[in-house]
Amino acid sequence: MKDIITHLEKIRKLERKRLHPLIHEVHKKHKISKKTLLYVKEYGPHSHALRTIIRESIKILLLASLISSFGGLALEHVKLVFVSILPLVILLPTLNDMLGDYGTIISSRFSTMLHEGKIKSDPSKNKEMIKMYKQILAVAMLTGIFSASIALLISTHSGYEATPEIILKILLIIAADIIIIVSLLFLIAVNVGWRMHKKEEDPNNFLIPITTSLADFGNMVILFVLISMFF
Amino acid sequence: MAFLDTSFREIFAAQMVSIFGGLIAGILLAVYTDKILLIPGMLILLPGFLEMRGNISGTLASRISSGLFLGMIKPSGIKSGVIRANMLASFLLVIVVSFALGILASLFNYFVFDVFIAKIIFIPVIAVIIANSVEIPLTLFATFYIYRKGHDPNNIMGPFVTSTGDITSILSLLAALWLV
Repeated sequence: MKDIITHLEKIRKLERKRLHPLIHEVHKKHKISKKTLLYVKEYGPHSHALRTIIRESIKILLLASLISSFGGLALEHVKLVFVSILPLVILLPTLNDMLGDYGTIISSRFSTMLHEGKIKSDPSKNKEMIKMYKQILAVAMLTGIFSASIALLISTHSGYEATPEIILKILLIIAADIIIIVSLLFLIAVNVGWRMHKKEEDPNNFLIPITTSLADFGNMVILFVLISMFF
Repeated sequence: MAFLDTSFREIFAAQMVSIFGGLIAGILLAVYTDKILLIPGMLILLPGFLEMRGNISGTLASRISSGLFLGMIKPSGIKSGVIRANMLASFLLVIVVSFALGILASLFNYFVFDVFIAKIIFIPVIAVIIANSVEIPLTLFATFYIYRKGHDPNNIMGPFVTSTGDITSILSLLAALWLV
C-alpha cells in the first residue's frame, strides 16, 4: 500500500507532460487505470488546472456550438411558421435536451461495452446493442409523447386552437423526429466508436460532444423539414 | 435480458425529471416569444446557448465527482485551489464560447438574412454571466451535497444540470434582453 501511495505522489508531482512513462509503469505494476493516473497527474500540485481545462475544452466546445448553430439556421428560415405553432415552441428546449441526453447515454454505454470487451465483432449485430437501441427508442417515444401531450395541454389552456389535425401533425413530427435522431445517433456512435476503439483510443472523449451537438443539429434540421412539409 | 430492466427504469426516471426543466423553459419561451424568438438570429443562437450550459456545468460536475471519488478533492474542500480553478475555467469558457456564438449568429444574420444587429453579440455574453453566476455555484454545491449524502453525483447531476440550466438560461436571456 505504501508503495502505491509513493508512486501516486510521484505522479502528482510530475510536470504536466503528455504520456509520461511513469504513468505506464505504475499502471502496469499496480493495475491502476490509466484514466485515474491521468486525473492524478492533470490536477496535481504542479499542473495548472485552469489552463488544462480551458485548453482541453475550448476547441470541442466551439465546434459543438458551431454545429448546433447550423441547425438553428435551418429553423430560422421557417421562424414565423414555427413561432405560430405554440406546442412546438414549448417543446423545443425539451427535445434538444432529451435528444442530447440520448447521445450521451448511447455513447457512454457503447464505450463501456467496448472497454469491457462485450463487443468483439460487428456491433450492429450484437444482441446487447440491439436491446439498448430498442430500450432507448421506447423511452424516447414515451417521454416524447408525454412531453408533447403536456405542451398541447398548456397551449390549449392558453388559447391555442389545437384541432385534431394539428394534434396529429404535432405528434407525427415528434415521433418522426425521435425515430430519425435516435437511429442516426446509434449509427454514428457504432461506426465512429468502433473505429476509435480499433485505433486503441477512448471513444468517450470524442463521441459524447459530437453526438450531443449532432442531436441538436439534426433535431433542428428535421424540425425544419417536417414543419415545411406539414404546415 | 428482460426489456424493462434496471437500465430501462433508470433512463426513464432520469428523463422524466429532465423534461420538466425543458418544459418550464419552453413555456417561458412561448410566453416571451416576441421578446426572444422574434429577434433575428435568435434561433441560431438558442441551441448552442442552451447546450453550452450542459457541456460546461455537466463537465464541471463530472470533473469534481472524479476528484471526490479519487480522493484528490476532499468532501470538505469546497474552497480548495482545484475547485477555484474549475470554477474560474468554467466561467471563462462560457464567456468565450458565448461571445463566439454571438459573433456567429451576427455573421449568419448578415450574410444569410442581410441584417446586422449588434446586440445579438452582447446578449449571450451578458446572459451567460447572469446564468452562470447562479448555475456554477449551484452545480458545485449540489455535487458536494450529493457526494456527502453517499450518492454518486455522476448519476444525478446530468438531469439536474439539464433541468436547472434550461430555466436559468431562459430567465437570464430575458434579463440580458432587458439590460441591452
